[in-house]
Amino acid sequence: MDILTVFVAAILVNNFVLYYFLGICPFLGVSKKIDSAFSMGMAVTFVMTLTAVASWMINHWILIPFGLDYLQIVSFILVIASLVQLVEMFIRKMSPPLYQALGIYLPLITTNCAIMGLALLAALKDYNFIKTVVFGVGSGLGFTLAIVLMAGIREQLDLADVPKPLKGAGIALIVAGIMALAFSGFSGMIK
Amino acid sequence: MPPKKSIGAEYLKGLWDENPVFRQLLGMCPTLAVTNAVINGIAMGLATAFVLILSSLVVSSIKKLIPNQVRIATFIVIIASFVTIADRFLAAFFPPISKALGPYVPLIVVNCIILGRQEAFSSKNSVGRSLLDAFGMSTGFILALLILSSIREILGSGTFLGFQVMGSWFKPWVIMILPAGAFITLGVLLGIAILIESKTKTRST
Amino acid sequence: MSLSARMIVVLTVVGLISGSLLAVVGLLTKERIEMNRQQEIQTAINEVIPSTKTSHKIYEDETLTVYESLDENKNNVGFAVYTSGTGFQDIITLMYGVDPSVSKIKNLTILDQKETPGLGAKITDEKSFLRFWEGRNCEKPLSLRKPAVDSPEKLAPSEVNAITGATISSEKVLEIVNLSLQRLKQIKQGGKLSSEEKNAT
Repeated sequence: MDILTVFVAAILVNNFVLYYFLGICPFLGVSKKIDSAFSMGMAVTFVMTLTAVASWMINHWILIPFGLDYLQIVSFILVIASLVQLVEMFIRKMSPPLYQALGIYLPLITTNCAIMGLALLAALKDYNFIKTVVFGVGSGLGFTLAIVLMAGIREQLDLADVPKPLKGAGIALIVAGIMALAFSGFSGMIK
Repeated sequence: MPPKKSIGAEYLKGLWDENPVFRQLLGMCPTLAVTNAVINGIAMGLATAFVLILSSLVVSSIKKLIPNQVRIATFIVIIASFVTIADRFLAAFFPPISKALGPYVPLIVVNCIILGRQEAFSSKNSVGRSLLDAFGMSTGFILALLILSSIREILGSGTFLGFQVMGSWFKPWVIMILPAGAFITLGVLLGIAILIESKTKTRST
Repeated sequence: MSLSARMIVVLTVVGLISGSLLAVVGLLTKERIEMNRQQEIQTAINEVIPSTKTSHKIYEDETLTVYESLDENKNNVGFAVYTSGTGFQDIITLMYGVDPSVSKIKNLTILDQKETPGLGAKITDEKSFLRFWEGRNCEKPLSLRKPAVDSPEKLAPSEVNAITGATISSEKVLEIVNLSLQRLKQIKQGGKLSSEEKNAT
């Protein structure tokens, strides 16, 4: 797969939320308003890109050369947790207004399966460095796309007459299902 | 401090009242991803149970030794270790299942159920209670996976555990095996769960 | 012990115990996992070149891996090509066998795919797809026959049957095979498929 293919596939064809089922917790939790959804998406994209770089380096410079691939899971999750911690401290210092906008979402990102999923999938697909970074950016954007679309729909849904048991998570999932159906129309796009 | 539950209640709460998937809305990623066939759902449930139970055991045993500031990091290392063991075990002894579950076994490490239980329960309760809690949550999780995967496999492939259960008159609803089917089924099940909950509540009041 | 010291000690101890435990488990399972992988490749090779007695890797690059198949007299009975490419939904990984002159396809098997269940996923099905690959003439690039026919006899020698309702997945498999065949022929011309040459050096 060439770079452009990786990028487009990550956003549309193999969308992280609607195809890989990653990042569902924030997808359901933070998709009630468009601007907070967008902020979450941007935070996730940022962390994903950093994680893509870091996980690639760890995998190719330490784990594989020393035959330590069984330490992949432990090292990836620790790197992610540390990265998020560092990013949070950095943003808090460098740009308090940005921290106000994104800050609360950052700790949530650690257990966001989307980030760990990114590290694992990139390692599984054995992408080179550039493709891994592109994969990270693309997946983050795909996540952002899905969550913003969902927020847009949910803002309208709030005004609609949803049956009581389905209010909240129930209807969100059903909407996600319809979105997944729509996105599956992107399959076969890649030549 | 809330009154301590009886032993039975400590276990049973994981099945319904505090069912990790249907009530707490945790662990959704694997629930949606691997429930396209019952065997995959069960395998994932067991792997998660393995990690949850052992992690809770270790965490509740050493809780007094862990300084508060490093507790999350410690939980993560403990959980990640058991996940790695489960993942390697499956890859070595059950390759087809390992292949079917793919990256979702390593993803158990970010299954909010596990970290959530360590934080909320195992780090604050005795080993015995923590084990009961872990067993209960695991059972609840496996039940949720079983229900979802049964619906998806029976309606989506006409089979159950690979055995044909629907006659040849039945044209499988392929959508059930696709991501869309997973989302929609879970959404409907959540709605049903809330409906049951509200009906039993009104009956008892 | 001060708090910072205690934090460091706890983290180090936990890290060491976990590291050692994982090292043990990792080493115990390493062989088995590698064996499983070899087994999968071996089974696939036997499937795509039925007269195989032994086989070994003879060429590898980023796009494909070629295995040479030998019979009990150590004669070359064909080459098995292991390659992957973009499918309709995700990557398709497959293996097919060709005769020693790279002019006929022996068999094809799909090793990994994530196509649409019930439709594209039928590329793994013997009856709807795979049996139509046997004995195809691959001297020139293969072409897709659509609408699909119901028996291999109705196909031209270099035609491959499409799956009704899954033309794109069928096409993708065809593309993957054609592309790798082109590469295989290049490699053959470059003399890299000859094992006598390899033994001589």
